[in-house]
Amino acid sequence: MRPNVSIAIALVVLAVAFAGFAIFYWTTKTSLFASDYGIHSKHAILFTVLAVLSLIAANFARRSGAARAR
Amino acid sequence: MLSAGAILILAVIQGATELFPVSSLGHAVVVPALFHLGFTYSDKDLVPILTLLHLGTAGALLVLYRDEWWRIIRGFIRAAIRGTIETSDERLAMMLVVGTIPTGIVGFFFVNQLTKLFGDPRAASAFLIVNAAILAGAEVFRRRDERRRHLEEPGTAHGLPANPEAALTARHAEDDPGYLGVERLTIRTALIVGACQIAALFPGISRSGVTMAAGLVAGLRHEEAARFAFLLATPIILSAALLEVPNLSGSSSTLAIGAGAAVLAGVVSYLSARFLLRYLRFGRLDPFAYYCAALGAAGLVFIR
Repeated sequence: MRPNVSIAIALVVLAVAFAGFAIFYWTTKTSLFASDYGIHSKHAILFTVLAVLSLIAANFARRSGAARAR
Repeated sequence: MLSAGAILILAVIQGATELFPVSSLGHAVVVPALFHLGFTYSDKDLVPILTLLHLGTAGALLVLYRDEWWRIIRGFIRAAIRGTIETSDERLAMMLVVGTIPTGIVGFFFVNQLTKLFGDPRAASAFLIVNAAILAGAEVFRRRDERRRHLEEPGTAHGLPANPEAALTARHAEDDPGYLGVERLTIRTALIVGACQIAALFPGISRSGVTMAAGLVAGLRHEEAARFAFLLATPIILSAALLEVPNLSGSSSTLAIGAGAAVLAGVVSYLSARFLLRYLRFGRLDPFAYYCAALGAAGLVFIR
């Protein structure tokens, strides 16, 4: 496996984790990484953005790996 | 409750200081205490007002760079879908994204704690002096670099006049020949310059100041360092303000005055950004360093 493909897969896994956090914060009352107990939509937005950015980074890593393979 | 006059004073302070490298947060903490304006940064009434003022500043930056932001957004979408960077707009977009992530994450989780810990006027005064040292240090570094380059290429190379000692004191050469535009930075350098904004979470350290200083050290021209600082600041200021909008509360009259103050802050921000970009074609950051040092010293001496 090309190194950049490994990075791409790692970034996709990261994106899934961020998406999981986003869903958690949208749906669950919690005080995890927050000052008070409740639904934290700002946290959810942050993790959604991070998930999207991780997918974009994975796309870059995938293309870079494919270019090297050629 | 804050008076309309106090809100308008805050709007002018915010508008003038957010983009100048002198720390708007430091001013919002130090100036009311220093001049006994009758409110403090920790007043709950201030939160919705500051949110609106930041929206005004972000709006000014969007207006100032409206064409560029349109190209950056399109470049970001194209590059994100394609998975490669092909144009300078795409490159700039990715540099801004990479430069914004560290500060965005750290700021999101720690800004309240840091503001509570260091939001006291005397601490902010001390950080204003640190900010002065950062600005002055960057200019000392740049002067040495300009002198070294000049000595390496005698005569009028790089557009510098024959007597570099005289020219390098207060002004730099026109357009800083030999130094870079933003588009020629590497992504890694953009990440480092962007991450420097984390320092600005301490009240008294200027976001645009540390970014400009880091940009100068990275080899950007003065005007380009300011441009990159403004572009980097826009998503942070805008998103921080937008995330607070759902929490806006207060009487309708306060919000109406706040909206007017936001427009005022936006106009002052726009004018100050235009002034700074024009000034930095020739000028240096030293006057802002002297100002921050003086205000910080005054805060330490007079605020009890």
